[in-house]
Amino acid sequence: MDIDDILREVDPVSHQIPQETRDLQDLTRAWVAERSTPELLAWPSNGLFERINDKIKRQIERVEEMTGDMDPKTNFALIVIQTELERYKYLVRSFLRTRIAKIDKHLLHYISNDNLRTRMSQIEEAYARRHQLLLHNHYLNSFLGTFPPTMQNLNDTAGNISMIDSPDLDSAVFIRLLKDAEIECHGVDVDGVLTGKEGDIVILRWSDAKSLVEKGDAELV
Amino acid sequence: MALPLPPGLTQNEVAFLAEMEMVTVVPRQRLDTIDLLSGRTPQLRPPHRAQLPLWLALLLKKQRRANIVPPAWMHPASLAEIIHRETKEDPEAFSAPPPPPSRALYSQPGTARRLNHHASYLDDFSQTQDSQQQQQQQQDILSPPFLPSNVAESPAGYLPYHWLEVAEALLTHAGDDMPAPAGEVRSLLRDLVEVRAAKMRSSTSALEGFGDAWLTLRGVGAMELAENRAFLAGLVDGVRKIGASAEATRREEEEEARRGGEYGGDGDEDSDEDMGL
Repeated sequence: MDIDDILREVDPVSHQIPQETRDLQDLTRAWVAERSTPELLAWPSNGLFERINDKIKRQIERVEEMTGDMDPKTNFALIVIQTELERYKYLVRSFLRTRIAKIDKHLLHYISNDNLRTRMSQIEEAYARRHQLLLHNHYLNSFLGTFPPTMQNLNDTAGNISMIDSPDLDSAVFIRLLKDAEIECHGVDVDGVLTGKEGDIVILRWSDAKSLVEKGDAELV
Repeated sequence: MALPLPPGLTQNEVAFLAEMEMVTVVPRQRLDTIDLLSGRTPQLRPPHRAQLPLWLALLLKKQRRANIVPPAWMHPASLAEIIHRETKEDPEAFSAPPPPPSRALYSQPGTARRLNHHASYLDDFSQTQDSQQQQQQQQDILSPPFLPSNVAESPAGYLPYHWLEVAEALLTHAGDDMPAPAGEVRSLLRDLVEVRAAKMRSSTSALEGFGDAWLTLRGVGAMELAENRAFLAGLVDGVRKIGASAEATRREEEEEARRGGEYGGDGDEDSDEDMGL
């Protein structure tokens, strides 16, 4: 902590959002978005996850150091630190598990398309490939092996019907507008342009909301 | 199963989010700053007020290290005003969400600027930040639970997004800090829950036929949404699946009409003949 930090702390006009708050909000947003959308979203590209994982690791080390000296004063601080640590770990864990669940559900869909593959982190992609390999080999061993060789693939597109199952991008999602925006919406009976105000909560199709969410004009709730 | 939960936040997850809301506490003991992952906590010196996240405030409250100052909207008068607005002034829609917070500017005395506005961070501190940071700041818009909508200074008469969860937590764990007997606040809240639940139910009638492509629920609360999420989303998706073929036909017709307009109407006949061959 240097003099600038101290000045910023006592300065009542400093309403700059600190990096920690920003990271927490980004993490929370990413988690809520991932929990709400029908398809896998892009892995946060700005190094958010690596940063948070590093911080969690460092904090765990600190807890280990602090448990050494059991002074009653630091004891309470330790409880607070550990409670917060658990909250962060829960967010990270839930985020990753949601992604894994989505990848599991539509494995081939995500690995066979270059565009979609980039949405996964390296580890996720390796996991998805390995999972698909095991699954396919298992199918081959148990029943696919007895089929004619032309029918042993799992990504057949014969007859214009793809075997690869994909998520339903038209599913309804709930979003909050972060600024005034116009959204082009597709409905059953009529299409239209919704003129939304900041703070509006709207139910609409994910395919309509997607561009807005990616631009940062809206967030999922 | 990696995750046995349905898409969309469940009630428990919403309650977890609500615990990130900032509240105001009056400490009863000194407590030094603690280095947390989400930043340093302010130094607690009684009787100076401080803002802490709800989970930490509840922890301090349970250990009798602090009292929680309930937000202004939880005052019975404010709740009664909201109920009046919900039932008499506009019996159809939810009452409006809190206005975005504003702050006075240091560099331009007498001028106020919205806290959550794109340009607001740039004015006062443009010299101290490099441009990359500025851009980052520009993109960041705070939203609940990170907006200070449940602190003591937040305006009365508006329900913040996480109102039900925050109120429930405060009534359960800090009932003695309420400005009025907890029972009174609780019964007002129950009225509010019922009024708004009825609105939530009637809002689905707007979805009848789902001719519209969207449904706006301005002012709805997080918990109300979580309770009705499966029903609403199921309804919208169900209507869409039933009407899928009708929608595809309509789209084709519109597309044809558009093409017909562009090419002078001959294009359709030609393509029909081609098909015949």
